[in-house]
Amino acid sequence: MNNQTQTEKTCYFCENGIKDVDYKDIRTLRQFINTYKKIFPRKKSGVCSKHQRKLANAIKNARIISLLPYIR
Amino acid sequence: MAKNKSGKMPHYELLFIVSNKFSEDEVKDVVKDVHKIITDNEGKITYTEEWGKKKLSYPIKGFQFGYYSLAEFDSSGEKVNKINNELRLSTEVLRHLIVAKVSRTAEEIQAEKKQAEKKIIAKAKAETEVVEKKEIEKPKKAIDLKDLDEKLDRILETDDLL
Repeated sequence: MNNQTQTEKTCYFCENGIKDVDYKDIRTLRQFINTYKKIFPRKKSGVCSKHQRKLANAIKNARIISLLPYIR
Repeated sequence: MAKNKSGKMPHYELLFIVSNKFSEDEVKDVVKDVHKIITDNEGKITYTEEWGKKKLSYPIKGFQFGYYSLAEFDSSGEKVNKINNELRLSTEVLRHLIVAKVSRTAEEIQAEKKQAEKKIIAKAKAETEVVEKKEIEKPKKAIDLKDLDEKLDRILETDDLL
């Protein structure tokens, strides 16, 4: 039996009408990394597959230019 | 010069970090040099932005701080490789990132800024409405609200430092 309450998650970027994920917008990117600065999986972030790929690339670009850390 | 399918020059965005060993006046000259590298390679700068001194997420070559600078430009693919190479060899620029971008006109940039402002205002309004409702419901906890505001301010300040 599944006793856990299931809440339906929706894609943050689809809801807000954001086409491309900007690597400079750290404030939104920070919502999708955990305390060890790892990228959340889709199961946890609720982002659709299209945007999850763009999000991952954006976070990686932000890490290259030192806007986000690689590890903590 | 090379053009893409729509007949326009490809559009790129460059973000680079200037070393912290320079003073703010010296940084301006370094930024000018970088812009010169772009224009020398037949690039056309359409938009520039200075972010100022920021803390790096991790030290690069022993530096904890750096000056961020942004530039958007039109150029062909081959020339971008040259620009990339020259920036990689320069000692003043700690790190840089060139990303292909969909070109926008000046009007579109302004429209986007306006939309962002509107969103922020709408959010602020919603927050104040929530606070007002709370005040009506629980007038006894006015002191706690002040503390909350202070905490919020602190959080917002730290967010800006990122």
